[in-house]
Amino acid sequence: MTDRQDDQTLSEETINVSRDSPLNGAGVAPDPAWFEQSVIEPPFARHVLTTPLHLDAAVESRTNSWTDWSGYTVAEVYTSVEQEYDALRTRAGLSDISPLVKYRLSGREAVPYLDRLLTRAVGALTIDQTARVVLCAGDGNIITEGMLFRLAEEEFRLIVRSSHLDWLEQSALGFDVQVEDVSGTIAGLSLAGPSALNVLASAGMKNPEALGKGQAVWVQMGGMPVYISRTGMLGGREYELWSDPSDASVLWRRLLDVGRPQGVRPVGAAARDIARLENGIALEGVDYQSAFTALDSAEARSPYDLSLGRLVDLDRQVFNGRKALSVIAEEGSAHVLVGLEMNLTEGVVIGPICIGDRRVGQVKSHAWSPSLQCVVALAVIEASALGTSDGFTVETGSGDRQPVKLAKRPFLPLI
Amino acid sequence: MSDDALRYDAIVIGAGHNGLVAAGYLAKAGKSVVVLDAAALVGGAARTAEISPDYQISTAAHLVSSFPRKIEKDLKLSKHGLIWATRDMATVALDRDGKHITLSSGSKSDLMTIGAHATRDADAWKLFDARMRKYVKLIAPLLEGPLPEMGKETPSKLATMMALRLEKLGPADLRTFMQLMPSSIAALLDRSFEGDLIKGALSLDATLGHHTGPHTPGSAFALVYKRALEASGQGVGYPVGGTGALTEALATSAEAAGVRIRLESPVAQIIVEDGRTKGVRLEDGTVFEAPLVMSSADPKTTCLDLVGARHFEAPVATHIRRIRMDGATAKVNLALEGLPTFENFSDKEYGGRLLIAPDMGTVERSFTAAKRGELTLEPVMEVVIPSYHDPRLAPMGHHVMSIILPNMPYAINGGWDANKDVLMKRVIDTLREYAPDISNKVIAGELLTPPELEESFGMSGGHWHQGNMSFDQLLAFRPAPGMANYEGSVEGLYLCGAGTHPGGGLSGLPGKFAVDTALAAEKKQ
Repeated sequence: MTDRQDDQTLSEETINVSRDSPLNGAGVAPDPAWFEQSVIEPPFARHVLTTPLHLDAAVESRTNSWTDWSGYTVAEVYTSVEQEYDALRTRAGLSDISPLVKYRLSGREAVPYLDRLLTRAVGALTIDQTARVVLCAGDGNIITEGMLFRLAEEEFRLIVRSSHLDWLEQSALGFDVQVEDVSGTIAGLSLAGPSALNVLASAGMKNPEALGKGQAVWVQMGGMPVYISRTGMLGGREYELWSDPSDASVLWRRLLDVGRPQGVRPVGAAARDIARLENGIALEGVDYQSAFTALDSAEARSPYDLSLGRLVDLDRQVFNGRKALSVIAEEGSAHVLVGLEMNLTEGVVIGPICIGDRRVGQVKSHAWSPSLQCVVALAVIEASALGTSDGFTVETGSGDRQPVKLAKRPFLPLI
Repeated sequence: MSDDALRYDAIVIGAGHNGLVAAGYLAKAGKSVVVLDAAALVGGAARTAEISPDYQISTAAHLVSSFPRKIEKDLKLSKHGLIWATRDMATVALDRDGKHITLSSGSKSDLMTIGAHATRDADAWKLFDARMRKYVKLIAPLLEGPLPEMGKETPSKLATMMALRLEKLGPADLRTFMQLMPSSIAALLDRSFEGDLIKGALSLDATLGHHTGPHTPGSAFALVYKRALEASGQGVGYPVGGTGALTEALATSAEAAGVRIRLESPVAQIIVEDGRTKGVRLEDGTVFEAPLVMSSADPKTTCLDLVGARHFEAPVATHIRRIRMDGATAKVNLALEGLPTFENFSDKEYGGRLLIAPDMGTVERSFTAAKRGELTLEPVMEVVIPSYHDPRLAPMGHHVMSIILPNMPYAINGGWDANKDVLMKRVIDTLREYAPDISNKVIAGELLTPPELEESFGMSGGHWHQGNMSFDQLLAFRPAPGMANYEGSVEGLYLCGAGTHPGGGLSGLPGKFAVDTALAAEKKQ
């Protein structure tokens, strides 16, 4: 914007100068090129937001392949998807998950506030425990989902995929609670894979096996305070490390240095996405749209549609979306999230799911699973179609129909 | 006091006209009811008080134009002291040169007063009035009861109902109606009339009390809506003893039916447990228990202050928070030591509803000034001389004059203390242009600014209607989207004030509809 304005002022000056130019008086015709506006392109078409680990990621990147995650630029692939996937499933992979949105919710009434905001009660959550949570809009559809950490008696951290400060603040009306977006003050790293435990131990974490699923703990790692939680969506052993952004780079180096001998490598978004899909987790913005961003309300999903009914506690009287959700719970949800397996040998573009000629849903996430040696996919289909379990076909990009079979989620059960 | 004395079937918060109507109907349905009000007198904004000794006046609301006969009969108000001084006040647009226009009936003499300004307008008025009547008929069913509950079939049922009525309207009227809906009253009047005075008066009528100007989109519909509400009443009327007499009759009727009215009992909290109302707590700590709580306080006060936002889902609380309540009306009450002399006035005019709005520009300028937090130079106003109909309001030969001043900013630049005298002077100066001797006759007067009205009548933001009555805050959107029929609110809690459908004005309908809804819900269970 500024560039452009400067540019305009400049050209106006040029015009003024040329009018007064002695050349004009001398009867020399002005060169039209003088008046041409040269539009100076800004160096980048848009702002690139980088995470605290951007330079470290750039050092590791052999492909220069990047992708956008909530506006942040993160590595799509560092070396090759196969290698990175292999690291995730057989050794360990280190990833930058800093673009996740983090909120700090604190105050005397943080618990009642969260009870009203979320579909489940959080009062029973002990300090350093986490809970998977969904936020629902008034119509019962999911706004976003994420993890809630209880940091202290009256302090929580909510980590979600997309930014909803406005909603959190609206919900705070009448509660003694502070809502802060602390995304910029916390860096996130994910360490996932069978060797993750050993890597953490080598990196200086004492007694890492004591950390149970869904628990978190403050750890001194090389003199840096790091909050380590056993959370994540890739399945298997997975840790997420939350640190000060200025420490993140050192932490990253340290984990790679001690981890490399054990097979740890940086893992980009592409391999993580395959692992996430194998774990059978539907992703906001991919498998369904947030209640606030769905252009077509049919793209938004309630927790029941995604088999997340266990996250909804209807016994409580008031929480956002309760009224709508109790109706859905009573009538049964019209849609259901299913896992699909297909014996297709190569990655293909796939679309609608049909029974006979009837379209019953649409495949969203799908990928070739190296572990399962088949294509796995997630789809939200009409609940009524479930009774007829065989006879599902899926249309591929080339127009032919391929048979698919329903599969249990997670596709790849890992301990 | 024993516990039983504090336990009722229903609690009504606010002893204004809507609260008392609700109490009356609840008692009629066989419920034990207590009405709680912070004030020392019943009446809310419909209260009669003294300006100075022996000069009585309706302090705030000064006319009853939409109170339905049905409520009057159901609650036996005439038996309990309600006597109408007049039920048929003419609407008179005052002219500086004495060529006043009378708008109420379609009589020949009235039409002549219109024709005196622009010959064409007399015919135009007949057409305008007839069209208005048709539009009123069109939307009247929406004001006859609580809005139908939003079920699966409701949209199609509503659509069918409206479609039938629209079809009946015929293509020509339909077109003008569709054009009218989003229109400003200025655009509508410019299409219909030539004369400045009639346009000024009608635009004042459409915008009175709404914090809108003649050029505000949607103000044309406001006139239709006002007319429709009036049609549910029986003409513009004035009860003997002022509007306070109406609420007193309501109170007497309620008490006769067994309702207990407890004054000087400000409610601090509506107690909600497990999503249900349990009762209310007064500021002094007394707890009244009842499964049913009806609040005639405005929706924001009721839901956000008395109940608490936490008891509503966030979208609902947000909708309530966003209700626009721009109070923009002031009141002037004068005690006069004789009838002021208006040029060319006969009995009918003295007893009429006098509109001072020489043209639409003046009305628009008063709105523009209010928007900027300023006082308009030429206030527009609605004036009545109640003592003309009800001589007991003032000593023999003396009179009281009641003036509603629209477009007075709630937050005024420099504060109201610095502006009250200026405004009073401007009001008198404006009146003097029509009744030159008025300044010699004023012996006492009071000016109630929007903040003062808020203070003395508990009107949040000084808003008479508990929320702007623009199209986006009416019908299914009143008090807030998703809250018509009390969806999304606390079980057992009902709003019964002007903030709910069908809105402001001394109609009692919000109170009646709330009871209808509550009783219907009870039956269902």
